[in-house]
Amino acid sequence: MAAMLNNSLFARLSRIPPAYFVFVALLLVLWIARPHMLNTNIMGIFIRQVVPLGILVLGQLLVMRVNSIDLSGGSVIILVNYLISSSFFHDASLVTYFVLAVASGVGIGLINGYMVGIRRVSAVIATLAMNIIVIGAVEFLASGKPPGAVPKFLNEIYNSKLWTIPTPIVFWIVLSLMMWVLLKRFVFGRNVMSVGENPTAARFSGVPVERTVILAHALAGLMAGIAAFVQTSSLVMGSVRIGLDLPILAVAATILGGVVFGKGEGGVWGPFFGVLSFALLFVVMTTFNIDEPGKLVAQGAIILLAAIFYGLKTAGSK
Amino acid sequence: MTSISKAFGSSQALWDVSIELFGGSVHALMGENGAGKSTLMKILAGVHQPDSGEIHKDGARVSFANPKDALDAGISTVFQELSLLPNLTISENMFLGREPVTRLGTVDYAKMNAETRRALQELGLTLDPSSLVSELSIAERQFVEIAHGIKADASVFILDEPTAALNAADVEVLNRHIRRLRDAGKAIVYISHRMDEIFEICDTVTVLKDGQVIGTEDIADLSPDRLIAMMVGRELEDLFPNRSENLGERLLEVTDFQIAAGSRPFSLAVHRGEIVALAGLEGQGQQKFLRALIGLFHPVAGHVAIRGRQLPLPANEANGIRRLRSYGAAFVPEDRKEEGLFLGLSISHNIAMALHSKVSELQPARSFSGKVHDTMASMNVKAASPNAPVTSLSGGNQQKVLLGRYLAANMDLLLIEEPTRGVDIGAKSEIYKLLRDFADEGGAVLVLSRETIELIGLSDRIYVIHGNTVVSNMQAKDATEHKILDAALGA
Amino acid sequence: MKPAEASERLKTSFGSLLSGRNSRQGRWFLALIILFLIAGLLSVYTEQFLSTGNLLNLIAQAMPLIITAIGMMVVVLVGGLDLSVGSVISFTTAILALGAPAYISIPGVFVLAALIGLTNGLVVTRLNVHPIIATLAMQFIILGFARILRPVSGGDIPDIVIASVNGAFLGVPLPVFWGIFTFVIAWKLIHGSRFGLHLFAIGGGRASGAEDAAHNFGVADKRNVLLAYVTCSCFAALAGVFLAGRIVSGDPNVGLNFELDAITAVAIGGTQLSGGVGSLHGTIIGALVMALLANGMNLANISPFVQTAIKGGILLLVVGLQSRKKMGL
Repeated sequence: MAAMLNNSLFARLSRIPPAYFVFVALLLVLWIARPHMLNTNIMGIFIRQVVPLGILVLGQLLVMRVNSIDLSGGSVIILVNYLISSSFFHDASLVTYFVLAVASGVGIGLINGYMVGIRRVSAVIATLAMNIIVIGAVEFLASGKPPGAVPKFLNEIYNSKLWTIPTPIVFWIVLSLMMWVLLKRFVFGRNVMSVGENPTAARFSGVPVERTVILAHALAGLMAGIAAFVQTSSLVMGSVRIGLDLPILAVAATILGGVVFGKGEGGVWGPFFGVLSFALLFVVMTTFNIDEPGKLVAQGAIILLAAIFYGLKTAGSK
Repeated sequence: MTSISKAFGSSQALWDVSIELFGGSVHALMGENGAGKSTLMKILAGVHQPDSGEIHKDGARVSFANPKDALDAGISTVFQELSLLPNLTISENMFLGREPVTRLGTVDYAKMNAETRRALQELGLTLDPSSLVSELSIAERQFVEIAHGIKADASVFILDEPTAALNAADVEVLNRHIRRLRDAGKAIVYISHRMDEIFEICDTVTVLKDGQVIGTEDIADLSPDRLIAMMVGRELEDLFPNRSENLGERLLEVTDFQIAAGSRPFSLAVHRGEIVALAGLEGQGQQKFLRALIGLFHPVAGHVAIRGRQLPLPANEANGIRRLRSYGAAFVPEDRKEEGLFLGLSISHNIAMALHSKVSELQPARSFSGKVHDTMASMNVKAASPNAPVTSLSGGNQQKVLLGRYLAANMDLLLIEEPTRGVDIGAKSEIYKLLRDFADEGGAVLVLSRETIELIGLSDRIYVIHGNTVVSNMQAKDATEHKILDAALGA
Repeated sequence: MKPAEASERLKTSFGSLLSGRNSRQGRWFLALIILFLIAGLLSVYTEQFLSTGNLLNLIAQAMPLIITAIGMMVVVLVGGLDLSVGSVISFTTAILALGAPAYISIPGVFVLAALIGLTNGLVVTRLNVHPIIATLAMQFIILGFARILRPVSGGDIPDIVIASVNGAFLGVPLPVFWGIFTFVIAWKLIHGSRFGLHLFAIGGGRASGAEDAAHNFGVADKRNVLLAYVTCSCFAALAGVFLAGRIVSGDPNVGLNFELDAITAVAIGGTQLSGGVGSLHGTIIGALVMALLANGMNLANISPFVQTAIKGGILLLVVGLQSRKKMGL
């Protein structure tokens, strides 16, 4: 009887994305250890830092729900960063820069989608290969050096606030809402759900499986482009070394948020809190003086633990 | 085996089943698909473990954690779906899991090949033991599987539908070996759907239905009709709805269709108001033909017209279903768990998906809750709510949800593979009635099934398919299993 | 194998040899032709190419990739993938550079590698995690440890490691012996043991969509897959030891992108990423093709950034040419 109770309790708990627990736990840690950190200003700055990650996650959760993955986000960030900060498009308008970012992202996303959906290449290999191709090309163009300055007005927008909230955070929330509506209220959302659950059954239900996968990758590219735009705006000088670890963090935050390959229980908001958890994690690690290698270990461990959590869950339900 | 019970998730596959096997005797296990024959035998072979019940061999209690335990205990199996590994050679497949090694620790290919050659020769085959299984024909693979199962020095042999891909001459070869084993004092379990085989070589028969034993009898005391009645559980007439007499216009017209290079082209037609069946032995081209219409198989040549409009062939896999739908036809796949349903998603998602996917993905999704509700009501789907996940339903209700998806989509023509696979008798009868109602309202159905009895009872007309072509076209009311088999094998 | 059977196998027609269709060894012959083509081009391009010195140097250059790719292939044969090998290589050099005595650090790196492989394997087989996610996470964890141990390149590599890579024996440079040693071990493992055959069996079942096929034959699939990951990590550690001897320091970045090069080499060599088809000689040929390409690109003064991009393109091409039923990961 007790075992059964525990079982159903575990079943109910396991349906809540781990991100919420991690978020609360980290919040508690901060509250106990560094209560002065918990104010709107400091939190705003730390959360603003993860906005590019948060936007990237909106794409990652989409491709992961159709059983794919996109590890090419780093290359989009570097490409957009280079395009905006180098002399190629000097003194262009905000709209031009934005279109440039979006076009780069969608372009790379479409190639990914073609390789995964039509050529049926393993998504990991296809997007990792895409990643090193684009990064290699950009680094060659930049000769491995920082390309130049980021237009000032981008930086100003990045640092502005709407009411009391930093503009990038508002932007992220709006994008998340849009993605939520797309998945919840549009046929595309149903298609994504179907393809993730069972691609063959989706095909037999008349879902255009390949097109759904390609579209998911194109949208993931779009999100990567926007994330890159925000990331670039946060910088004074362009860089060809920034954002390389973002795609894998995006995978981690997505898994943490309860979206795993083919399953989307966490919806959009689970991964949203996954990203917020990472924001808090960065605060905690910074305040406890854990440096870059330690962060790598922690990130890897989080991915592994979240994946194991889901692995055990699916093994249990079989 | 006594009091064996086994459940998979929420579905109970076996209830308190007991059977006894004797040396020197061939014991037939019969029942419809999903009756639990294969599950029972997999338990005996150590693939599955029973939830309760005991297995005794030669008086001692035994239990098998895996297939190897069972093999060590002298129980040897030819599985229905034992997939040989295509990338290994025949001898590697034969010895996989118990390869002999040389003194250097390498796999002893010389020994394996020699023994495999001998085992194959005993079955009258002259295949090269070092050729890859991927290069063999289906019948050859079947024989390799049989050789794999019966070469072991075992005392109990399980043959699960060993003849599905064999022709009459090959079956005769196999029967000879079965008799030889029987005369050597081995106990043999024989599972087959072919009546004539059962009566020819079996001594005893146990009939299973819905996971329970209906009875065990000497074959000498049985007639084929009596055996069928035991399997189906009631008189056939009650199970199937009445046939219709009103034929409408020609809906599907297939001309000069050639499935494979060298096979004879054929033509067929399906009219409104009609249920037409594709019958014959398994794997003779029925499924290839149906799947060619949705691009999952590429035929050599042929014309297909639906309502007079030509369907371009070969169709392509990516949009074959969608194009067929634009012609007013739907395709119901055979394997509801693998190909048909979204098991983890709700009933309403499963039913409405075919409606959603009719429009562009960039349109808002309509709710379709009324439509889902109507479909569930008219099909008598028993579920807590439309939001219940399909996994939680029984097999019969799952099948109804699958069928409901395509009926709700308002199609003229239904192409159905295995309409009632693994479904209990009550749901079967309901599904037959639903299909008949669909036809009576002016729809047309083209159906294939492994169960010939079902095809005869359900359909108006039967095309017998053998060797990738139509060999006979008969009225269902005159058809019998024998006639169909004769037509298939006589061709 | 008896000579008669060996000759029977050699009788396969040229066409099927080229396409690798009716073989468990895949399209390795095509890779061999490509290898000779590139070698031919290079020997026309530069006169020194065919000199003994350059060829021996090439073998030494290719050796880490050959060793890593062989390990990778063992995992690929069962339909898996190990993205942590690059980090394991870096980690190994970092450990060796700690300055501990060789009789501790050399066995030590293999024990640690085996533990990493064991963890990968356990997470994949027992905890039901997709191999790519498991090994990707491991890539980060191990890279983190490597950077904690050795934030920048440096440290002292045991003399015996340096000597074993750079010296010569009877006038033959030692890397050649490394090659022979690796080949013998790998051949025994992959083509000359029950373990190897079972790897093919497990992968063949998975590639044809019958996940449990090998298990139904009584093959201990989980244990063998686990051992495949252990093998892969240990080969990566061996490559790490070799590299440490070559660069004479510990370097946390030396293994960067090595997993992608290894996958490319494996795929060029005709191994199917879905599992069950592949060969040791194919993988070695694939690694040599990669090494020759790098050599050629260096000779042609192509920027290292562009070289990375080209390698990515090749990976995309060879993997894109393999047909696969499954879509997604």
